Amino acid sequence: MERREFLKQVALWSAGLTLSVPHFRICEALAAESSQTLLAHATGKDYLALVDRVLRPLGGMDAFVRPSDKVVIKPNIGWDRQPDQAANTHPQVVLALVQRALDAGAGQVLVFDRTCNEERRCYVNSGIQDALAGIKDKRLRFFHPDERKYVPVDIRRGKAVNRLDIYRDALEADSYINVPVAKHHGLSRLTMGLKNSMGVLGGRRGAMHHNLGQKLADLATVVQPKLTVIDATRILLANGPQGGNLKDVRVLDTLVASADPVAADAYATTLFGLQPKEIDSTVAAHALGLGEMDLQKMKIIKA
Amino acid sequence: MKNPKSIPPYYWRRLSQLACLALFFFLFIHTDYAGSDEIKYAVNILFRLDPLLALCASVAAGFFIVLMLPAVLTLLLTLIFGRFFCGWVCPMGTLLDGCQTMIPAKGQGREKKYRALKFYLLGFLLVGAWLGLPLAGFVDPFSILVRALSLAVDPAINALSSTIFTYTYQEAPAWVNGLTEPLYTLLKATILPFNQKYYELSLLSLALLLVIFLLERLERRFFCRNICPLGALLAVTARYALLRGKAGRKCGSCHTCQDVCRMGAIDDKRIISPLDCNLCLDCIHHCPGNKISFQFGWMSKGKPDFALSRRTFVGALALGATLPFILKSRTMALQPDPLLIRPPGALAEGEFVGRCVRCGECMKVCIGNGLQPAFLQGGLEGMFSPVLMARTGYCEYNCTLCGQVCPSGAIRKLSAPDKKKVKIGNAMFDRNRCLPYAKGIPCMVCEEHCPTPDKAIKFREAVVENSRGEKVTVKQPYLVDKLCVGCGICETKCPLPGASAVIVTSAGESRNPAQALPDTGRMGY
Repeated sequence: MERREFLKQVALWSAGLTLSVPHFRICEALAAESSQTLLAHATGKDYLALVDRVLRPLGGMDAFVRPSDKVVIKPNIGWDRQPDQAANTHPQVVLALVQRALDAGAGQVLVFDRTCNEERRCYVNSGIQDALAGIKDKRLRFFHPDERKYVPVDIRRGKAVNRLDIYRDALEADSYINVPVAKHHGLSRLTMGLKNSMGVLGGRRGAMHHNLGQKLADLATVVQPKLTVIDATRILLANGPQGGNLKDVRVLDTLVASADPVAADAYATTLFGLQPKEIDSTVAAHALGLGEMDLQKMKIIKA
Repeated sequence: MKNPKSIPPYYWRRLSQLACLALFFFLFIHTDYAGSDEIKYAVNILFRLDPLLALCASVAAGFFIVLMLPAVLTLLLTLIFGRFFCGWVCPMGTLLDGCQTMIPAKGQGREKKYRALKFYLLGFLLVGAWLGLPLAGFVDPFSILVRALSLAVDPAINALSSTIFTYTYQEAPAWVNGLTEPLYTLLKATILPFNQKYYELSLLSLALLLVIFLLERLERRFFCRNICPLGALLAVTARYALLRGKAGRKCGSCHTCQDVCRMGAIDDKRIISPLDCNLCLDCIHHCPGNKISFQFGWMSKGKPDFALSRRTFVGALALGATLPFILKSRTMALQPDPLLIRPPGALAEGEFVGRCVRCGECMKVCIGNGLQPAFLQGGLEGMFSPVLMARTGYCEYNCTLCGQVCPSGAIRKLSAPDKKKVKIGNAMFDRNRCLPYAKGIPCMVCEEHCPTPDKAIKFREAVVENSRGEKVTVKQPYLVDKLCVGCGICETKCPLPGASAVIVTSAGESRNPAQALPDTGRMGY
């Protein structure tokens, strides 16, 4: 597993660097050789325990965080909304992941998001600031992104975008854990893991919306989470991604987790009664070979 | 006898000045969101202590504004202690005193020529405020000071420090960053604003403040002696003050007291005028004969003369009485500027401009950086009053800070649910520029950010031809007027370069029924 993962990474990166077709073939050959995509989902009221349950089939946090790793946990804290309004990742889910990453011996755990509403209001009203305030571990840093730390990155495999400003910590992380909330979105229908990666982008992000699906897939070629945990403890069915009306919220008490970002999005899509192929970013990312979108080909475990 | 070991009296004055200045800066820095919907500290107490603004705003409103009750305390204390406020409390005065060595006055300043100016100005301002020409905020020392600090100095300091620390971060070796980064973190946590803000009229705001400092070149405290209308109001009150300075009668000819008096309050006969004396107590300290003292007592020797020219004073009042009517000849009296979008909770325009003291606090505290000082959108007299400029920033849906810091109630303090019911404007789409309409490019950033629980910006799917001649299906935004609150986030976030394709105007604002929007099937429109 270790060796295979390494080769896969090398193949992906060298493919990215050279854009040479043969490397792609090697990559695909390796992908075909690899075992079935694993995805876990779990339902329960105790969100702290739920995180442990959903990670267990994937090998627990130890499978994703090694001692002294630099870990980035990237929730969605985009909006000035309360936890029950389902616009941001649930604070308990973030808290549990941070705790587990620390338990796994992470060297540092960074938690941040570039918000859409005013930064401080989002951090406070999402409940995440309060939830993390209880952890007195110096390895944890919950901070507002620093303007100076966005670095321009060439998106060599990009089809719709070839350069983006990306937050340095997200690029340097040994383990990048994506923790989106699953919700409605006017343009893309749903926002989940791939869309959540926009939170590490600098500059004016609005232009991402022009051909959003492809651009999110392009972004996913460079921002590659080791683990995606989709928060569907409560989902927003309309007036997303910001919500504000509790009538649009449905409580599912569910988490979805996978090492495959595309698979996680694909499965979470079904929670809304939609098919993975209806989400442009899922289709585009699959086409780039970034993950599995066919539910039949996944090994789905109810934990 | 002077005891050399005792603390000279002016030390107490200095201590008070420094303490008040420190308090002022503390409040200024904390006039910001601090993790709670309710603001704890705001610099607005300074404005509520200001009897000039209280009087002008109340005269304009037609009733006493209870929010500004603390100003009465200032007047009462002035009745006892004279213009102590100018010497012991006023942060502007303290800063002027502090800059004395940097901008030394040329002469001793026994010139009385301009002394009456502030009284003319006071009369003009009061009559103007009463009849509808609110100008107090242009010349009030706190308005000038806080405005310049909020709109220019604070953002400039932030820009300077971010430039320096970006340079060290990018170019300097690691050991330098080991020092600079913790320093930057410390500065950010203490004195620097949370993020970079951008303001209209920042240079003009700063220039007005600088003029006051440059006038120090002519005489010490030139502004306080000659121009400050707040000083004038306090002087009128101080005329009846109980505490008075008394100089010796048979004290020779040294005139030291006259030379050291920062207010030029001591005449050749060594009479200390309560109209000017700000109780700095320097004269006590410097008098070689130790002949000056301050004592309580009913004024027996007649009240000091204002030295006004009756003709000029009547002229000033007449000007204040006529100018307001000239304002009514402007086109804006007929039709308000559509870009004059006032903050949520703002009173009806006439009342709002009358009560707004131009302090700039709402703009300082506006976390969306949406509130900007108006230039001429609200007329010359509306300059520096707050307007929402939605391309620069927007009104944060859940935030109510501007109403909380407004010292005069020009912006009402609203609860969050009440604020959400206020409509400050209405968005409209420019279909010639909006991408899904004009180019067949999908976008919908406006809809994504629209904050109302039932989105005011909705979309329809349409098949359009894009610039390559392909037929594409795109989502095209449209507005539901009755859901739109006019917050302007759509305009701020519109990803088009330059002008936004969605523009907010004051049409439909709830404070002005004359701006009601047409509604399908409504009677009488």
